[in-house]
Amino acid sequence: MSNDAKERKAAMLKVQQLSFALVEAGLYLDSHPTCEKGIAYFKKHKAELDKARAEYEKKFGPLKMENALGADDKKWQWVCEPFPWVSEYERSEG
Amino acid sequence: MFNYEKRLQYPVNIKNPNPALAKVIMSQLGGPDGEAGAALRYLSQRYSAPSREVQAMLTDIGTEELSHMEMVSAIIYQLTRNLTPKQIKEQGFDAYFVDHTTGIYPVSAAGVPFTAAYFQSLGDPIADLNEDLAAEQKARLTYDNILRLVDDPDVREPIKFLREREIVHYQRFGESLRLVTDMLDERNFYAFNPSFDKVKKKK
Repeated sequence: MSNDAKERKAAMLKVQQLSFALVEAGLYLDSHPTCEKGIAYFKKHKAELDKARAEYEKKFGPLKMENALGADDKKWQWVCEPFPWVSEYERSEG
Repeated sequence: MFNYEKRLQYPVNIKNPNPALAKVIMSQLGGPDGEAGAALRYLSQRYSAPSREVQAMLTDIGTEELSHMEMVSAIIYQLTRNLTPKQIKEQGFDAYFVDHTTGIYPVSAAGVPFTAAYFQSLGDPIADLNEDLAAEQKARLTYDNILRLVDDPDVREPIKFLREREIVHYQRFGESLRLVTDMLDERNFYAFNPSFDKVKKKK
């Protein structure tokens, strides 16, 4: 795997881990909406996720369609990177 | 509304194709206890849930199930890449192949197409949540059975993640059921439909 691919994979893993923390905490908060520990956990990870997502999108392309065009983009960036069912193996086949 | 995020909930990177395995894992996409049924079940049931907590739970777990459909589909997609006609025949993938090539189509392991008859939406939160608890257990058992048949760690890791989620969802639906019964008069929980009949709720 190239260095770029390794870096992308690591950045993606960070988004996946932090987003998972929010999914898990969110389900818990649905049934425990006043739990102080749960609320603090959610807030902390939400701030980290926003940062990780912005870093990923800046370097490796949009995760959400609404973020697909930066100020200088001349091409629709949503179609410039593979969709997520494409494995690292298939990506490296080019 | 729903918004797409261009990533999987958990990484799926499978090196070696294995159509025989794809065929059994397919059941967790379109089989009787698969992710398509789970997503449709919870996203259909949520409208008659009697409290915002339970509406939230069905919405959020239903949404997570959509991302599980995508993960299972990605596993099948990757297990059926670059197949030769010999592999397709020898590994028993020919019946699926003749109808769908290597497209992703929701069927059970035995090839029965997905049907909404796999789930209910009763409009009664006690009946619905009891179905949801059973559904999570059944899906967990199906993942257990798949894990008995799979050696490849590339496939085992995402399947193990999906199995764990069934256990967490079971816990959350158990809490949801308790929230519903806590709202009701305990002398007659099960004799009426709390989302339809006029009933006395606890203060």
